[in-house]
Amino acid sequence: MILLRTLIPALGLLITASVSRAQSVDFSHDVLPLLRSHCVKCHADGTYKGGFSIDTREALLVSESVLHGNAAESPLVHLLKETEDEDRMPQKADPLPSESIAILEAWINEGLVWEEGFTFKESTWVALLAPRRPILPDVGALGSHPIDRLVSAYFTEHELAPPSGLSDQAFYRRVSLDLLGLLPNPDAVDVFVETTSPNKRRLLIDGLLDQSVDYADHWLTFWNDLLRNDYKGTGFIDGGRKQITEWLYKSLVENKPYDVFARELISPTEASEGFVKGIQWRGNVNASQRREVQFAQNISQVFLGENMKCASCHDSFINDWKLTDAYGLAAIVAEEPLEIHRCDKPTGQFAKAQFPFPELGDIDATKPKPERLQQTAALMTSPENGRFARTIINRLWQRLLGRGLVEPVDMMSNEPWDADLLDFLAVHLMDSNYDLKKTIALITSSRSYQSHAVERHLGPAEEFHFQGPTAKRLTAEQFVDALWKITGQAPEKVAAKGADKSDRSFVRASLVDSSYLMRALGRPNREQIVTVRPEDLSTLQALELNNGKEFSELLAKGAGSLLERFPEANADMLIVEIYRQALSREPTPDELQQVSPLFEGPATPESVADLLWTVFLLPEFQILP
Amino acid sequence: MSPSISETRRDFLKQLRGASIAAMAAGAPQFVRGADLRHPNAKADTCILLWMGGGMAAPDTFDPKHYEPFKVGLPVKDVGSTFPSIDTAVDGIQITKGLEHIANVMDRGTLIRSHVQPDLGHILHSRHQYHWHTGYVPPQTVAAPHVGAWMSKVLGPRNPAIPAFIDIGQRIEGVGEQEELKAFHTGGFFGTEYGPFLLPYPDQAMDAVRPPEGMTPGRFADRYKFYKDLIAKSPTGKQGSAYQQESMLRAMDNAHRLLSSPERVAFDLSEEPKEIYDKYNTGRFGLGCLLARRLTESGARFIEVTTEYVPFLHWDTHEKGHTTLARLKREIDQPIAQLVLDLEARGLLDRTLVVVASEFSRDMIIEGVPGSNARDQASSKVDLLTEMKHYGQHRHFTGGSSVMMFGGGVKRGHLYGDTADERPFIATKDPVSVSDLHATIFHAMGISSETAFDVEERPFYATEDGKGHPHLGIFA
Repeated sequence: MILLRTLIPALGLLITASVSRAQSVDFSHDVLPLLRSHCVKCHADGTYKGGFSIDTREALLVSESVLHGNAAESPLVHLLKETEDEDRMPQKADPLPSESIAILEAWINEGLVWEEGFTFKESTWVALLAPRRPILPDVGALGSHPIDRLVSAYFTEHELAPPSGLSDQAFYRRVSLDLLGLLPNPDAVDVFVETTSPNKRRLLIDGLLDQSVDYADHWLTFWNDLLRNDYKGTGFIDGGRKQITEWLYKSLVENKPYDVFARELISPTEASEGFVKGIQWRGNVNASQRREVQFAQNISQVFLGENMKCASCHDSFINDWKLTDAYGLAAIVAEEPLEIHRCDKPTGQFAKAQFPFPELGDIDATKPKPERLQQTAALMTSPENGRFARTIINRLWQRLLGRGLVEPVDMMSNEPWDADLLDFLAVHLMDSNYDLKKTIALITSSRSYQSHAVERHLGPAEEFHFQGPTAKRLTAEQFVDALWKITGQAPEKVAAKGADKSDRSFVRASLVDSSYLMRALGRPNREQIVTVRPEDLSTLQALELNNGKEFSELLAKGAGSLLERFPEANADMLIVEIYRQALSREPTPDELQQVSPLFEGPATPESVADLLWTVFLLPEFQILP
Repeated sequence: MSPSISETRRDFLKQLRGASIAAMAAGAPQFVRGADLRHPNAKADTCILLWMGGGMAAPDTFDPKHYEPFKVGLPVKDVGSTFPSIDTAVDGIQITKGLEHIANVMDRGTLIRSHVQPDLGHILHSRHQYHWHTGYVPPQTVAAPHVGAWMSKVLGPRNPAIPAFIDIGQRIEGVGEQEELKAFHTGGFFGTEYGPFLLPYPDQAMDAVRPPEGMTPGRFADRYKFYKDLIAKSPTGKQGSAYQQESMLRAMDNAHRLLSSPERVAFDLSEEPKEIYDKYNTGRFGLGCLLARRLTESGARFIEVTTEYVPFLHWDTHEKGHTTLARLKREIDQPIAQLVLDLEARGLLDRTLVVVASEFSRDMIIEGVPGSNARDQASSKVDLLTEMKHYGQHRHFTGGSSVMMFGGGVKRGHLYGDTADERPFIATKDPVSVSDLHATIFHAMGISSETAFDVEERPFYATEDGKGHPHLGIFA
């Protein structure tokens, strides 16, 4: 604001400049306080005197009280400057000081810059912190599974038709990829399809989850992304970063209860301390990126689905977190008094160690750091902290059904599309002693999960209605695993510490360093926490798949090895085999007819490679229906 | 002259519709303030960044200081430059010996001598390069996009068959600090669609755009046709997600368009007449300049050509600075000048911005800037020269570096900014920060430095906090 005053004489010049120029007023810092103190009472959040709403930028523009870029002719400005008390805004109040009006004029002239997504309309939704045990509705159209009872009620309430169910084959393929990241063995699928036991899907789920090495190999990817753990990466070069791979892998194989898992991350042993230690860069870093603040950002994002990145610099404009909240969390891990920095400038104030939800309990700042971390771990996993369970439930639901119950998955204070379902699953997890496999089994055994994917929702988030699972693209690791499995071209050496001793049919992509191909397919550099990977195939990825060296060589070698493995095979047998392996189904007569001409004469490495390429690039292969 | 209310409203609603169409690409970062942001008029359609990775010492290239030839026993503090100065095509602008070709085209460009970098304490090339390439000092809480990714995202490709963002000459694997290099050779939160198309070896660039090794064009074309036919036969059809399937096939078509387009010949340096090829052929960097010229002609949007950053190699002189720079100058001098001349001869220079830059400068004595807590990293710390390996700019200097710009609407034969005549050679006039330099480059390309995208519900700007100011004095 002080800056603004000095700029006001120059505003005339700024207004006429047509090229990019600095905004002299800032919505959040300059305009918002004025609107809040003078306008909101009568013209926002349900009260719209004179039919005038300033809830959103759009509402303001539609009202025609302001002219985009033209304060001089905006009726609002005239009303503010009106000399007759009766006609002036704000009504029954002193006129706005001229410098306040100047701010609003400048703001209008500069195009009414608005904080994206900001609205004065208060959401009526308040995310509960405590766990809640919803009453299950009666059995509905989808069946008696508790998830299905809740989803049926949701469908009824929103007048939506339930999606159609998956065939045994499609179910097997999906659940195998979701639980273990692996394509199923075609023969196993055959047996499964022929089995008549009514309980067979549940038995399959339990059987897959019992394959603890395959399970760990697959979920390692999810956790490496979430905990930004990797075997190589920035920071390792000079000891500024530490892996937790060995601990993480063991925890997954053992299916360590999630509360224990979280406690060991927050209040770590030497094996798990890499996560809270964060990444130390050489040289000076911005105060919002020192290790203590990284701790605050990471703990809140990973376990609570809260974004404290803004609040690490200043009170957040997008949520309710304050700078002191972020620093309160950071202070827990600080070795010495932690001075609060606002926008990288010291404030002279020191942070008081505090959990982000103080209603759960206090952190005793007088205790040494290890004890403070123990207290934090205890508060995080306290039975009163429903958010802890809800957050991981939401992440799992997102992984398994393609879209979270709450979106974005790192804004857990947003309203879920069905609060009962989220709360039910969270309580179920707590009741199961935080056994994540039990949650996964519960979700995947529901008819809601075992349904055909529906179209991805592309409209505004608040208009989303759950209508069934959303199709997911294979992750880089799933894609590469499928390639290696079918072509027999997996590498021999495991890079993930602690994973090298287990028995498995082949070395999985999650266990080795990222390659160009995997990066091209979306395996992230793990410098930041990654909770959701991009879903779309990009042009550069497609290029890599069309002529990339790594992929081409893999196909060529794989074709050779397939021909060796099936020396007797005629073309049709090979085609059927590849279809069964890759798509978990046999080719239709139509497809056979289409594919056969590729093999004029005996199958050659080239023709097999081309067939493999084609099948791997089919949307049916890459997108899980 | 003001628009009527209804006109304003109509415009607003039109923009609103545009924004919601953009929002259709669900999950993709969305423009913030798309409705009111005004981009400057573009002066250039293509940007070529010639990157002197490792810290190009200004006193030994574009900003000559007091020259002392090597002499045993000479106090290091008495040496400003290790190369004598030479005249250029512009009166009053001198640069250093070894850059005679560039000196001859100095009348086509603007030389900035006052580029400055922040003091980040202990100096790391990777951090400064990340900063220079993304506009943000690492670490960041989100993956910041490379400037090329910004151009790709905001401006899109000039020619749909040519990737918008091409990076020539940098190997990522196997040259050291690979993880640090990966961190900014990326589309960041924009996603891989906007990331760099990497061509580490310019003479092998054609391999990246032709069918895989051992596959004839005929087989390649048949394979694709076969693929499309088979999709049409798939019994699952569009069950699941038509959106995802279509988006996947669109990416495949884009890729295939490049791999079978006539324009891809631009990647093939063997098509170039020998006399031209030879003028550029000083090594990988020189050929990279040639490739950049060919790609500019074919419609690339942003091309970076690097001398390649490899720790302790090339411009990263912790010792033997003088002899190393004598070699590097041979590698860059003629290709850069030839690139400018060729673009000019083809009528492309006016609409192509060529930028020669580096993450910082170097100095014989000072690490960082005066008063910095940065630790001295020179390999041999001597006060008096005893061996030739001591002769050179062996400390990293952030107080004043040089940037050359050609074309793209910049002034011709112009000197911008200045540094002190005596050590410390800090910028004394018109300092240009990384944000401001980016704002200036974006300005030339028609991108407002306040362009922002929504990431995790907060705006992320093309220049840090949207605060980069273009130095308009650079433009004609």
